[in-house]
Amino acid sequence: MIQMFHVTKSYPGDPPVLTDLNLDIDKAEFVFLTGPSGAGKSTLLKLMFLAERPTRGQILIAGRNIARVRESSVPYLRRNIGVVFQDFKLLPTRTVAENVGFTLDVLGVPRDDVRDKSLKMLRRVGLEHKADVSPLKLSGGEQQRVSLARALVNDPAILLADEPTGNLDPALTVEIMNLLCDVNARGTTVVVATHDASLIARYQKRTLRLEKGSLVADEKGAKAARLMALEA
Amino acid sequence: MSTRAKSVYFVRTALGSMVRSPFVHVIAIASLALALVGYGLARLASGQLDALVASLGGQVEFTVYLAPDAPEDKVKELEAALTQRTGGAVHRVSPAQALGRLVEELGDQGKALEGMNDNPLPWSLEVAVPAAAREGGQLEALAEKVRGLSFVTGVDYGQEALARLAMISRALKLAGLVAFALVFLTTVIIVSATLQLAIFSRREEIEIQKLVGGTDRFVRMPFLIEGAVQGAVAALVSFGLVFALARYVESSHGDAVAFLRLGGQVAADWPRLGAEQLGLGVGLGLLGSFVAVRRFLKV
Ligand SMILES: Nc1ncnc2c1ncn2[C@@H]1O[C@H](COP(=O)(O)OP(=O)(O)OP(=O)(O)O)[C@@H](O)[C@H]1O
Ligand SMILES: [Mg+2]
Repeated sequence: MIQMFHVTKSYPGDPPVLTDLNLDIDKAEFVFLTGPSGAGKSTLLKLMFLAERPTRGQILIAGRNIARVRESSVPYLRRNIGVVFQDFKLLPTRTVAENVGFTLDVLGVPRDDVRDKSLKMLRRVGLEHKADVSPLKLSGGEQQRVSLARALVNDPAILLADEPTGNLDPALTVEIMNLLCDVNARGTTVVVATHDASLIARYQKRTLRLEKGSLVADEKGAKAARLMALEA
Repeated sequence: MSTRAKSVYFVRTALGSMVRSPFVHVIAIASLALALVGYGLARLASGQLDALVASLGGQVEFTVYLAPDAPEDKVKELEAALTQRTGGAVHRVSPAQALGRLVEELGDQGKALEGMNDNPLPWSLEVAVPAAAREGGQLEALAEKVRGLSFVTGVDYGQEALARLAMISRALKLAGLVAFALVFLTTVIIVSATLQLAIFSRREEIEIQKLVGGTDRFVRMPFLIEGAVQGAVAALVSFGLVFALARYVESSHGDAVAFLRLGGQVAADWPRLGAEQLGLGVGLGLLGSFVAVRRFLKV
């Protein structure tokens, strides 16, 4: 589903953020992306939803080479990819439900349907009762869940989540992880960037470890857990 | 993927933004209105100039001096021909009338002429030539023909005055055009800066729309609608202002600016000016929004 060949990303004037990266994530796979702060996790996700273009190398999403795709095709590619941003990116001037609805608005879904689907999605993340307030009035964890609802409301083929449990207490973390696993079980490819070693230890999914822009480990199951335990 | 749903969304978003942040829109409208008031005043001034030229030109007469022995039937023929060619009224002026006028014009110095027994002035025909018959050297051609008649001693039609008037009018209009272009350019810059400021406050919204898969066209559309509405409102406001100003100049309260009115009226083709301001306002609003939103589409 997501393949990278010799991908390098550098910003002008700085040393490369990602260097000669190769990876292959299958359809309906669940992958953790981990590594220290500044290792390039967010940047890697940005390459996947075309917020950034690679400096060198090829990126295939669903078999399509997106490294050199036309700017005008970008919106259509993004519609298959739900993203939970590290900084949420919610609009304070709109209600929670309207924020979730953005994903459907751009598709030209009629207003009433947008509202219906947004409320259903909010129920799944346990925030239906906050539908009509501003995101400003929500806690960090609640905002994170709104961001997740917005990413999932369109049933994307791929879900990219940047620290989706970073602000959550253990109980909510479990809830969100269950949601992600549930989405994954229905066939969505899920990539989760996280610092949380306990999360990785607990769920024993395939784990990619980035350090200074290079992929240093790619383990599955118990091995992944041990990998993280070592660091902790 | 319904077009209807999208249209509804665009209009709702545009109106929503106007309701949410009226101040920003008022500023945008004000700057657009400023440009349009400038345009309206320029149009008005040019209209007044035209009226001025027309009113001065209206005093120009085509005068034919007749020989003393001019046969009456030929003169009648000439009168008819002149009326037909120019569309103006022909007056026959007797030597006595002509002398009377001359005495009047000269004032005190003219008193000396009153005692004359022999009137040296000839009979003449005066034609008040309408503006339409004055264009494109028509008078010149006519004068050439009339001069050729045996019973005509001379033709006079103030060609120099006419030519000078036309030149002055052209120069004034050119100066006006240059001044207008400068003012307009400045306002366009102000307008696009204002719109950019207005859109800057919504760059987050644009960013998110693009990140969830909105096309540039989709993101831009509400802004274009807003720009068009702003332009239309600005046109309405500026038309009202220019119209009110014209009425004020005409009214007795406007005596201080009486020099601006000619013949008691500020002449203008109001429906046309209104339509022009509307077109210009909407066009400027659309263009300004299009340019302003461009900067933020790159996400
Ligand atoms: N737009 C940019 N211009 C220049 N450098 C950038 C830019 N974005 C990211 N970087 C650099 O790239 C490196 C990796 O950043 P990135 O955000 O991918 O790290 P991360 O692994 O997500 O870290 P964290 O765990 O703190 O979120 C950092 O050193 C950062 O300074
Ligand atoms: Mg990050």
